[in-house]
Amino acid sequence: MGGDNTPLSNTLASVLDNLSTTSSGTLFGIVAATGIVAATGFALTFGQAEVKGKAATELLKGTSLREDEVKEHWEEYDKYFQQNAGEGVDEKQKAPKLVDTFYNLVTDIYEWGWGQSFHFSPAIPGKSHKDATRAHETMIADLLELKPGQKVLDVGCGVGGPMRAVASYSQAHVTGITINDYQVKRALHHNEKAGLKDLCTVVQGNFLHMPFEKESFDAAYSCEATCHAPKLTDVYKEIFGMLKPGGLYVSYEWVKTPKYDKLNPEHVRIVDAICYGDALPEMRTYLEIVDAAKEVGFEVVEERDLALPPAGPWWKRLKMGRLAYYRNHVIVSILSFLGLAPAGTTEVHEMLYKTAISLVEGGETGVFTPMHLLLCRKPETQETPAVAASA
Amino acid sequence: MRLLTHNMLACNIKGVTKGYPLKIEATKTEEKETDFNAGFLRHIYPKLDWKALREAAASLGLEELPEQVEPSQLEDEDFLRRFHHVLLEIHLEEGALVCPETGRRFPVSKGIPNMLLNEDEV
Repeated sequence: MGGDNTPLSNTLASVLDNLSTTSSGTLFGIVAATGIVAATGFALTFGQAEVKGKAATELLKGTSLREDEVKEHWEEYDKYFQQNAGEGVDEKQKAPKLVDTFYNLVTDIYEWGWGQSFHFSPAIPGKSHKDATRAHETMIADLLELKPGQKVLDVGCGVGGPMRAVASYSQAHVTGITINDYQVKRALHHNEKAGLKDLCTVVQGNFLHMPFEKESFDAAYSCEATCHAPKLTDVYKEIFGMLKPGGLYVSYEWVKTPKYDKLNPEHVRIVDAICYGDALPEMRTYLEIVDAAKEVGFEVVEERDLALPPAGPWWKRLKMGRLAYYRNHVIVSILSFLGLAPAGTTEVHEMLYKTAISLVEGGETGVFTPMHLLLCRKPETQETPAVAASA
Repeated sequence: MRLLTHNMLACNIKGVTKGYPLKIEATKTEEKETDFNAGFLRHIYPKLDWKALREAAASLGLEELPEQVEPSQLEDEDFLRRFHHVLLEIHLEEGALVCPETGRRFPVSKGIPNMLLNEDEV
């Protein structure tokens, strides 16, 4: 994508070059103004990347971090998420803190360039991305057989796109948990705007140590979120503990598919790049997630890759959006260069831009899926653990 | 955060067995009107820990809720409006939630409870 050699990108590249060579001293003000006009004009000409969650101007305020924090956070993130060829990161237990850092860095950019639902969905012919996203989200409510008044837990809720879809569709009450306080603020803001503040609740917490009463939820789900856990059984165990006996849990998991060959360097490269760019301590295989669910005591009701044909390609939106992402990248670069966006914003955006390429490669080769469906039930009666029985 | 949220939260520090319900230390509360929805209240009622809600309301000096709710009361609009007010319209903006067993304080800032635990608590 970066190699797009359209006349337009050339023009912009030269604008950027000119900016970097001429903007000094008293000229700065004029050049800055020109840059903003160029960026704005560019944005207006090419319209929105997607359904906007945020205006580009909000990136300027450094809303989730203080300006001087972005660079520091970025450097810490970049260092931690370097991958050991197919084996994930060192010191996996440190992941929660760094996942928090990741979402401090990317939440605004995601909302700006993607929308309020930080996940993928299969493309549906003739339907917009918005509709396809919504269908993927309401399917959660159907799979969980939600009814009005039930209490549902959203594990890793982000800014709450799925939460609002599930709550409004099912009229169940959804409680979301996210480790990132900025996401809590954004989620509450969106819930209020959507008229769903009574059906949705959000708290800041770590899904590895849930701050709720045990066995208090009728159902639970996680939408492309548990992939951030250092150890999958740790988060599944917590979810299991929060559910009432008989409760259902559904997850859309990021996994390596049966097509992934660990001896194929290309496959390893693609998956490592996805982990690095999306704050994953490691990538599990489709078999590992099923084993993890069973290990903590779940009955696995259904598991399959929702990306398999006839599902439309989930990565189509990334591919279609590439000009828009390139445009966004140019805007971010200009704003950062002019000192209007915090230092480090360009690096973060560049990472996301490269990650988009890796995700498309993962989708096209079929070695990766962000939507392996796992539907589980907590048994009505729990078997007494062998240790307790013999005591 | 509303008392509905409070009703779900617990302190799950390692070793704690009675981390529910959390005590409320309020330095600032706000009243925000929200649409009355009798159906929602009837649905959510059986999911609540009534005793915890009642105690929370009392600790904030709100109108007293009955000790027990008879099924007929869920048809009584006067009662439902009181229930609605306590559950959904009172917001704890600043303060803390306190574990009844350990005294651990979970700060509430700008209406958001921070339930993150420290490394030595898990």
